[in-house]
This record gives sequence, structure tokens and C-alpha cells, in this order.
Amino acid sequence: MIALLNEWFIAPFDYGFMRRAFVAGIALSLAAPPLGVFLVLRGMSLIGDAMAHAILPGVALGFLLAGFSLPAMSLGGILSGLLVAGLAGSVSQMSGQREDAAMASFFLISLAAGVMLVSLGGSSVDLTHVLFGSILAVNSSALFLIAAISSLIVVCMAWMFRAMVVECLDPLFLRGQGNRNGLVHGLFLALVVLNLTAGFQTLGTLMAVGLMMLPATAARFWSKRLEGLICIAVVWAMVASTGGLLLSYHLSLPSGPSIIMLAGVGYIASALFGRYHSLMAKLRRRATPLEAAEAG
Amino acid sequence: MSRLRLNDLQLAQGGRTVLEHVSGNFEDSAITALIGANGAGKSTLIQAIMGELAPIHGRIECDVPKERRAWLPQQLALDLTFPMSVEELIMTGTWPSHGAFKGYCGPHYRQAREVMSRLGITDLAHRPLGELSGGQRQRALLGRTLMQEAELLLLDEPFANVDVETVEVLMGVLRDMAAQGATIIVVLHDLEQLSRLADCVLALAGGHARWSTPEAIVERHQGGTQRHHHAPILPLDMPGLSP
Repeated sequence: MIALLNEWFIAPFDYGFMRRAFVAGIALSLAAPPLGVFLVLRGMSLIGDAMAHAILPGVALGFLLAGFSLPAMSLGGILSGLLVAGLAGSVSQMSGQREDAAMASFFLISLAAGVMLVSLGGSSVDLTHVLFGSILAVNSSALFLIAAISSLIVVCMAWMFRAMVVECLDPLFLRGQGNRNGLVHGLFLALVVLNLTAGFQTLGTLMAVGLMMLPATAARFWSKRLEGLICIAVVWAMVASTGGLLLSYHLSLPSGPSIIMLAGVGYIASALFGRYHSLMAKLRRRATPLEAAEAG
Repeated sequence: MSRLRLNDLQLAQGGRTVLEHVSGNFEDSAITALIGANGAGKSTLIQAIMGELAPIHGRIECDVPKERRAWLPQQLALDLTFPMSVEELIMTGTWPSHGAFKGYCGPHYRQAREVMSRLGITDLAHRPLGELSGGQRQRALLGRTLMQEAELLLLDEPFANVDVETVEVLMGVLRDMAAQGATIIVVLHDLEQLSRLADCVLALAGGHARWSTPEAIVERHQGGTQRHHHAPILPLDMPGLSP
């Protein structure tokens, strides 16, 4: 039994690449889900997806200029992500159009630009790498970058936590206090961009959103409190990233998709069996009065 | 004395002028009722006073610092699915003066408990916002402005969808705030509430504003046919503004 457990859970981490992948997964799991929780609460669940596409041209440009250099690609990704978020924000403020429409327009433009840039300069293998990442290829400097960005995100979120809560609940209250230019909103989007840039190396630009959103959407079925949502989402992201890693190791599956699939299984299970608003909860609620009637 | 003055104001929404030539002072330590039909420009004027909408012409002069201005929007403006308790909502009232980035301390919690007992919602402290009734929610929202120690308070139809008992509590608290020097502006639709609560009236109709008193409005309303006390205030009831 012990030997089996050892073989399944401990032995894989004898390899350096597995250890680094594990730490990278934990670091991302600490930073990404709280952002996801706020995105879900604000009804902006798809903005994460849009931003993931928005960082693509920057990553591609970094790749074209400096080859396979993580700092260059990350910097490019951050810049293009911030640029798209800023442009979308200013277009929607200027025109009064809803932000998601502007965001959708800009992310489609950047997706096309990104794919074009990658195709111009590299092979399809490079494109696959940028789009889907490879957590097993994380080296020490990449790990350092991921940990640094994740730490920065956690510290920033702790610092502006209450501002984010108020902005989410009642933006008018915040605006009434002279917060006119959407400073908190802008900072929040910047954190989302940073987090996606940290995630693209390991999970790819598209999959990085998964670790942010899926634990957050799943947590909605388990808690009605903000602290609860964040804790559940973080724990589930850690379980999914570690479990997905082990699955990919033992079953020879690609690592990124395994992690996101496991997180997705958690979401579906929560939707079915969660404590609040799930299918089971709905069924339970219907059953209660009958029992009460029988007892009475 | 007046800390909020309107000076030949012209306001527009989407290129269409809503209000023109609005001038006058809102009294300190008084409750001013803002009345008018739907679309008369009540919400537009409130937006302008809160600094959300820049006037086309004229000026709004306000001596109340930003952190002491509070706005209680119509209920629908709040995201009620947000997982937050009543106490947490009330505590956000410390935010403008205390800053967004510092923690709460003992006196804040004591003040919040006082505010809640004053509004009769102590037992709801840990209830999520989504589970409150309309009246309870309105009490909690007013609690936030009490916490903020607001000196300028704008309320947009605070008594809509609210139970009778809550209306009494809210009116009492508003009267207390006015007695302590606050300038309060309330959008009202109900004649009985107007006569009980307001000290002054600003009536909006046909793009113009006219200052009046509750007595004049009530008298106008009840002159001629005897109507029910709870009848809505119609533009016809506003002196000098009949189309």
C-alpha cells in the first residue's frame, strides 16, 4: 500500500522537472483563483479569455525578436495585454459602448495579429508551444519569474482587496468618492494580464485562463461568502494542478490539458453535487417539505 | 447657510437638454424633496450634483468634501448576488475617510454596531445581502451612509418597495441627520411622505425647476377635488409649472 502510494504520489517528484512543475502549479494556484473569483462576481468571466488572446501578439513578438526567451516573451505579453485592456477601456468610456464589446473586438484583432506573427517567424511547433505551453519544460529562471509574478499578484490583491470588493458591489459608491478614472478597475485588469503572462509558459496562453476561472466557478457552488469562495478556489486549483501533473506523468497525457480537465471535472461535479444552487441542492430543497409534512 | 449652490445650470443627456436655467441653494440642516414626473430630470440632477455628469452650462458649487458626500441609488443599481454581509456593507462606509487600504479597528466595529442598532438590523449583521428584503436592504444602505458620517446625502426614491415600518425608521434617521447639520436631498413620489419629511421642495417639470414648500404642494394637491393622500405628485400639482 505504502509502496503504491509512494509510486503514485512521491516517486514522480524525484525528477527535477516534476518538482519545478509542481512548484509552478502551486504558485499559479495561489494567484489565479482569487482573480477568477472577482471576475466571476463581476460578471466578467469571459474577460479572462479575451485577455488571454490579447497577450498573444506580444508573446509572439517577443519570440520573433529574442527567440525562445521567457523574459522577452513575458514582457511582450504584459505590454500587449495592457495595451488591449487600455484600448478597450478607453473606447468603451469614450463611446459609452459596453466594455465587453470593445474587449471582444480588440482581442480578435490581437489573436489574428498574434497568429500571423508566429506564422511569419516560426514553425507550427512554436505556435503550439505558445498556445498550449508545457509545464514540464519549466526551467529554474521560468520558475523564478512565475513565483515572482504570483507573489506580486497576491500582495497587490491583499493591498487593494477592499477597494476591489466595493468596486464590485457598488461602483457608483467608489466613483462618488472621486475614483473617476477606474483606477481600481484598471489595476485589477493589469493583475489579470500579469497572471496570464505568468501562466502562459506552463499552460499556454489559452489554458492559463482555465486555472483562473474553473476553480472560481466551481467554488460558487460551495460557498456564499467571499473568503470561502477564495479559499475553496485556491485549494481546488492546487489539487487540480498537482493531480493533473501526476495524471499526465502516469498516463503520458499532455500536462496543461490534464490540469485544466481535472479542474473542469471539479466544476461539473460541483454543479451536480455542490452545496448551493447545484442540481442536488435543488432536488434536496424540493424534498424537505415532504419530510417535514410526514414528521408533522 | 448653504453648502450646495446651483448656478444657472443646464444639463443634458445624450445631446438632449433635460434641465435649463436651474439656480438656487439647498439649505443646510434641511431635507429638500426633489419631485417631478418620470423623465423630468431628477436623476440627471442628482448625477450632476454627485459629479457624474458635467453641466453644459452653469456651475454647481459644493463645499462638502467628497468623502462626506453619499449617494443612495435606486435599489436596482446594486449587485445583490455579491457575497457580502450586512455588517461588511456598513463597514465600507468607513472607506472614504479611513482609506481603502487600511484595516478596520475596534472603534469602527463599535460604530457599526451602534449604526445597526439604530436602524434595527443588529440581528441581520451576518446575513448575506442577497437574502434581505427590500426594506432591510434599504436600512443597511442607509447604515453605510451613517457610517460615512455623510454631510451631503442624496437619496433616489429611498422608500420604493419598502415596508411601512422601515419607512418610519428611515425617516427618523434622516430627520436626525438633518438636525445634526446634514444637507439631504430626497427624490419622492408620495405626497404623504413629502408633507412629513421635507422642509423644502424643488419641483422639476418641462425642463425647468421651481423652488417651493411642502405646504404649497400639499395645498395645491388637495385644492379642488379631494384626492387620496397617497396619490402620486403630478406635474399639474406644481405651482406655476402647469403645461
